[in-house]
Amino acid sequence: MKNFYILVKRDLKLAINGSTDTVAAILFYILAIVVFPLSIGTDANILTKISGGAIWIAALFSSLLSLDRVLRSDFEDGSLEQMVLSGMSMELIILAKCFSHWITNGLPIVIISPILSIIIGLDSSYLWILLVSLLIGTPSLTLIGITPAALSCAIGKGGVLTVMIMLPLMLPVLIFGAGAIEAELLGMGGLGHMYALGAILPISLLISPFIASKAIRLGWE
Amino acid sequence: MSLFFNFLANPSRYRKFAENVYPYTLLIMFIMLIVGLWYGLYNSPPDYQQGEMVRIMYVHVPAAWMSLMIYFCMTILSLFSLILKHPLADLLTKCSAPIGASFTMIALVTGSIWGKPTWGTWWVWDARLTSVFILFLIYLGHIALVNVFEDEVKGAKAAAILTLLGAFNLPIIKFSVDWWNTLHQPASIMKIGGPSIHIDMMVPLIFMALAFLFYYISFLLINSQAEIYKKRLKKTYINNIEIHKNQILNNSRKYNE
Repeated sequence: MKNFYILVKRDLKLAINGSTDTVAAILFYILAIVVFPLSIGTDANILTKISGGAIWIAALFSSLLSLDRVLRSDFEDGSLEQMVLSGMSMELIILAKCFSHWITNGLPIVIISPILSIIIGLDSSYLWILLVSLLIGTPSLTLIGITPAALSCAIGKGGVLTVMIMLPLMLPVLIFGAGAIEAELLGMGGLGHMYALGAILPISLLISPFIASKAIRLGWE
Repeated sequence: MSLFFNFLANPSRYRKFAENVYPYTLLIMFIMLIVGLWYGLYNSPPDYQQGEMVRIMYVHVPAAWMSLMIYFCMTILSLFSLILKHPLADLLTKCSAPIGASFTMIALVTGSIWGKPTWGTWWVWDARLTSVFILFLIYLGHIALVNVFEDEVKGAKAAAILTLLGAFNLPIIKFSVDWWNTLHQPASIMKIGGPSIHIDMMVPLIFMALAFLFYYISFLLINSQAEIYKKRLKKTYINNIEIHKNQILNNSRKYNE
C-alpha cells in the first residue's frame, strides 16, 4: 500500500512539473465543448437538449487522448520494468497509474464541468446529475481504457488503432452517462442509468488491472 | 476430451483432421440450407401482420445468433490461449473473427432492410441495434489488432486480451431487449416459459440456424487450413532465401578465388 502512495505521488509530481500533456487534455475538453455551439448553432433550446451529451463526449475524448500517454513513457524508458523487477505487483502499478490518471484528468473534468455546463446552457437544477454521473463515469473510462493503452505499448506505436480499440469498449459508459442526464431532462429520472454506471465501475475495477498487466507483460515477451 | 485437445495441438495433425472433416460439415450445411430455404420461402405461412416480410427473419435471426455465438466461442478460445497456451486456440480465434464480423454485418443489414417497411426507418438507436453495432466495431478492432503485430504469437495474445475485454458486451446484447423497452421486439424463442413462435415458423428457423452453424464450422476448418499453409509457405520462402543466399555467397567466393 505504501508503494501505491509513492507511485501516485511520483506521477502527480511529474504531471504538475514536467509534462504539458495533462493540461493539454483538459484544454482539449474545454475546446471540444466550445465546438458544439459553434457547429450546431446557438439556439438555446437545442443546446440544452444536447448539453449532457456534449459534455460527456468531450470528457470521453479527453480521457481517450490522454490515456495513451499514461503507460507509454514509463514503458519506453524502462522504469515500468524496473518497478516490477523491484518486486512491486504489476496490478498495483496499473491501479496506481489509473488513480493518478483520474486525479489529473477525471477530477479536473468533474470540477470544471459546472462552469462549462453554464456555457452550454444546462439548467443548474440538473447540475447534480451531471456531476454524479461524471464522478462515477470518469474512473470507469480510465479503467476500461487502460487495457487498450497497455496493448498499444505492446504494439510499440499508438495512434488511430488504439483509439479504434478503445472507443467501442468505452461506449457503454458514454451511453449510460449521457443517458442519465437526458432521461433527467425528459423528466423520466436518470437513476436507472446511474445504477448501470455504478455497476460498471466496480466490475472494471476488478477486471482491468489483471487484463492490463497481462497486456503489459505481452510487450516484454 | 483432453486427449482430443492434445491430438489437435500439432498443426499438421490438425490440418489433416480438418481436411478430412470439412467436406462432411459442408455437406450438412448445404442440406440444412436447402431444407431451411425450402421451408422458409415456400412451406411456411406468411405473418398475419408483416405478410411475406417475415421471411427475412429466417436469415436475420440465425445470423444474429451466430454473431453472438462466434464471439462466445472466441472468448472461450481466448481463455484457452491465455491459460493453457493451446496453439490451436490462437489459430481458431484469428479465423473466427472475420466470419463473426460478416455474420454481424448480415444481421445488421437484413435487420435494416426489414426495418424500413415494418418500422418505417432503416435505423434507430435502439438498445439491441446499438449493442450489436458495438459488437461489430469490436470485431473490426480485433481483426485490425491481429494484423498490426509483426510477431504472430504476440498478435494472437493481444487479440485474446481484447476479446476477453469485449466479452462484457455479450450479456448486454442478449438481455438488451428485456432491460430496455425499445423498438426491437423482445426475445420470443430463448426465454422463460418456452418459445412463443408458431411451430411452422420455428422449423425453418431451426434449420437455417443449423445451416449457419455448420457454415461457421466448415469455413473455420477451411480458413484455418489456409492459415497453416500460409505459415508453412512463409517458412519455405525463408528457407529458400537462405539456400539462395548461400549459393550466391559460394559463387562469389569462387569468383574471388
